[in-house]
Amino acid sequence: MDQYEIRELCEQFFDAYENRRVDLLDRIYSDDCIIWHNVFGRETTRDENLAALPDSYKGQRRRTYDDRIVNTFHDGFVIQYSLDGVQNTGHRGSLWICIVARCRDGKITRIDEYMDSSKFAAWAGREGTR
Amino acid sequence: MTRTDTAHRRLCHELFDAIERGDIEAVDRCYAPDMTLWFNVTGEEMTREESLKALAAGRDLHRRRTYDDRTISTFDDGFVVQYTVDVVAHSGAHTSLSACLVAEVHDGKISKLFEYLDSGKFAGR
Repeated sequence: MDQYEIRELCEQFFDAYENRRVDLLDRIYSDDCIIWHNVFGRETTRDENLAALPDSYKGQRRRTYDDRIVNTFHDGFVIQYSLDGVQNTGHRGSLWICIVARCRDGKITRIDEYMDSSKFAAWAGREGTR
Repeated sequence: MTRTDTAHRRLCHELFDAIERGDIEAVDRCYAPDMTLWFNVTGEEMTREESLKALAAGRDLHRRRTYDDRTISTFDDGFVVQYTVDVVAHSGAHTSLSACLVAEVHDGKISKLFEYLDSGKFAGR
């Protein structure tokens, strides 16, 4: 994959997340795709990730992946972005996240996600602050 | 592997090796004069001077701190490094933290750093 194909795949991935298109994410993940989160310190399979997605959208009116800064390298990309959410309560929150992804044959084969769990409550409006 | 790739990798290792040794002058040599560091925990940007001061202040907080399992990926004007900070406290307790650093590089110096980690893992350190 060249850098343009990798960049396009990155944008498709985040657009699919934003639009809650689990069917598109299914096509973007390779069969052996692994997702690792720094907060949990463990890997999940593609199927575990896809199965958890519908529940992860609950309580949210809108979720957008903004301010995407993408850099590509020979077998993947790093993206820095803001996850902006509007809860059903109207509460707005923002999380700063970085993902490093590996790509092969037009698919994402691995995702490593880095974020700060201390911001979760404020993001969801559970602290009454932003 | 290109010359840029090799140079960025070398710079990344020089930075982490210098931080590990507590060699603030060597860290400074990796930085451009107008370098800034953004930290996801505070959401704020530090200047080069503030960053160097913070490193100096944090040098003796632990008995040993190493930056291990460095996975480096380079691009034209920078690199991303995924790593584990392994800490031995003065009490002898060991802790470990996974983090990620994105760097912009110009003329062989780091001009911007973005650091991402989970501050929820600081508890009990």
